[in-house]
Amino acid sequence: MAYRTRMLAAALAAVMAGFPALADDGKIVVGFATAASGFMEAYDKPAQDAAMIRIDEINAAGGLLGKKIEVVSADTKSDRAEGAKAGLSVIDKGADLVVVSCDYDFGAPAALAAEDARLVSFFLCAESVKAGIQGVGPHSFSASVLAAVQGATMAEWSFKQKNAKTYYRLLDTWTEYNKGICDGFDWMMPKLEAQGAKLVGKDTFKNDDASIAAQITRIKSLPQEPDAIMLCTMMPGAVSAIKQIRAAGINSMILNGSGVDGSYWLSAVPDLSNFYTPVQGSIYGDDPNPAVQTFNATYKKKTGTDPSSQYVYPGYSMIDVWAKAVERAKTTEVDAVVAELEKMKGEPTLFGPRTFTAELHHQNSARYLIAETKMGKPGIVGEWTISEPVPMSALVK
Amino acid sequence: MLQIIFDSLSLGSLYALGALGIALIFGVMRLVNFAHGDVIAFCIFALLWPSTDAMAIVFAGQLPWYLLVPLVLIVGAGLSVLCEITVFRHFRRANPATMMIASFALGFVIRYFLLMLFTSRPKSISLLPMLSQPVEIFGARLPLLQLITIVATVFILIGLSLFLRRTRFGLEMRAAAENFSMARMLGVRANRVIMGAFALSGALAGAIALIFGSQTGTADIQMGASIMLMAFIATVIGGLGSLAGAVLAGFLLGAASVVMQVMLPVDARPFRDAFVYGAVILVLLLRPQGLIAARGTKERV
Repeated sequence: MAYRTRMLAAALAAVMAGFPALADDGKIVVGFATAASGFMEAYDKPAQDAAMIRIDEINAAGGLLGKKIEVVSADTKSDRAEGAKAGLSVIDKGADLVVVSCDYDFGAPAALAAEDARLVSFFLCAESVKAGIQGVGPHSFSASVLAAVQGATMAEWSFKQKNAKTYYRLLDTWTEYNKGICDGFDWMMPKLEAQGAKLVGKDTFKNDDASIAAQITRIKSLPQEPDAIMLCTMMPGAVSAIKQIRAAGINSMILNGSGVDGSYWLSAVPDLSNFYTPVQGSIYGDDPNPAVQTFNATYKKKTGTDPSSQYVYPGYSMIDVWAKAVERAKTTEVDAVVAELEKMKGEPTLFGPRTFTAELHHQNSARYLIAETKMGKPGIVGEWTISEPVPMSALVK
Repeated sequence: MLQIIFDSLSLGSLYALGALGIALIFGVMRLVNFAHGDVIAFCIFALLWPSTDAMAIVFAGQLPWYLLVPLVLIVGAGLSVLCEITVFRHFRRANPATMMIASFALGFVIRYFLLMLFTSRPKSISLLPMLSQPVEIFGARLPLLQLITIVATVFILIGLSLFLRRTRFGLEMRAAAENFSMARMLGVRANRVIMGAFALSGALAGAIALIFGSQTGTADIQMGASIMLMAFIATVIGGLGSLAGAVLAGFLLGAASVVMQVMLPVDARPFRDAFVYGAVILVLLLRPQGLIAARGTKERV
């Protein structure tokens, strides 16, 4: 008798393990395998809060496929080994969508766990081409825009709208993100050179270099100050580089990736001017889309602070596009959802149109707002979409 | 050319000050203090009000410079002495490897304490903003801060060597560095000398924090690590325990780094540090005891 009971229990357990989704059919589960502690928390938390806002909106409007979206989470503790465990943990809790850390390196372990379990995974704001099919598998997506698009956008926009002619490229070799920005810039530059622009020099530095005096000396020894400096870097080294460039009396336009968005660091470089950043939406209260300003207000109400940079926004668009795909597929079944996501061509979101294809689960072209910082005050001065998408050959160098 | 010399000197100053802070402590107690970098970070964060917001709340950082500078130096010295009293004092008879591990652990404690209060997000702080203007000198245009860094380092070095050579405390410290047990037998009070070394080393960390903070405008809990690494290498090539060697090697490292950046072709520049470290290995192969070997550290047969 005991033997038979045990057999039955074992069989039941096997069946349950095989169909975790069937066990709780009255709800749809979004699992966050993100950092709730450690250094990644500062980057994951804001985007996750934005995702929660979209989830709350959907639930308030009656849910998804008539079911409530439930949220489960596990802390990656900003550690790659813990990341894989956190991924498994939210999968065990029945996640239909696994949301992973902002950065490719830190999000990949959980995304791979989701891929093994045949679930859709979304990087909160990774901007490397690896965050998706190339680095994880066919069910993985990223909610942000490729770094290369940022570099290409700034190059083309400054040439077409600001009449910049001479460019200087300064790359911080610390991360793939930085290299991505410059890869996009390098891909765009020959096209602009055919129209009269000129790249007058290149140099590199490292994010934690105590000083970039030698690099600055090289810029200063050019016969003429370049019109624009493409600065491919990120925090915290970005502030140091910008401060040193301006302290040396170089007043060229500084073009950046989105990583330097936000006014929280501007106190370090008083009265900074002629400084440009591509952003998905404006945190400065001047977004051309009033719905973004409504979002900012909601964010402030829920979290008690204003968005500190544009990196809160991808979290919101992520839930938005995923929920639309689920709605259209009429199921959370993974292949159907991925197929619907891959059908999206210029799908409108609060923060610009989004496109996914069977080759690329990331944005290789996007509408960017351009934020200009003038006398220490950032504000939106225009928007730009690159004339053609960044090709795969420029992305996987 | 002149510009390159100034660039090398200012970067070398940072490394030299860091190396000196490590060499001072190594001299009196054979401890490689890996917490030194975190003391540097702490000095900067001491100017901010603890908060987890992205925007830094500048607190003591708004003081006028004549109060700010001594305050940071005192914070550095105070924390360093506190480390010695609470931790290192209990490791007096431990072997150097144990003490080194303890210093690693202490560094982590300081870093995670900062992480808890301020989060990992780097904070921006405008420290001594009047130094971020270019000045013209002998035809080279350089940031005022670079000039001040070089001048301040020279003054610190002169002051320190006067202190070590002309005062009784300095004499005791040099005696302790040369042969600690002999010095004790001759009546040098060990704890006092060691505490003095920690205070000086902490104040040097404060000086680096000020220079680094005004140069980068950033307070980051990891900021001490890169300087600490370079400073440690400088103390090793300078000859462990030799103060003059540490300073010399600090300046050489700064110069090597700048010269490599200038000379290397653009494709090789991302590997600049590999070349710098290659040069370090070469120096150590040729002079394993360091550029200027300290008398007390030689093996006696």
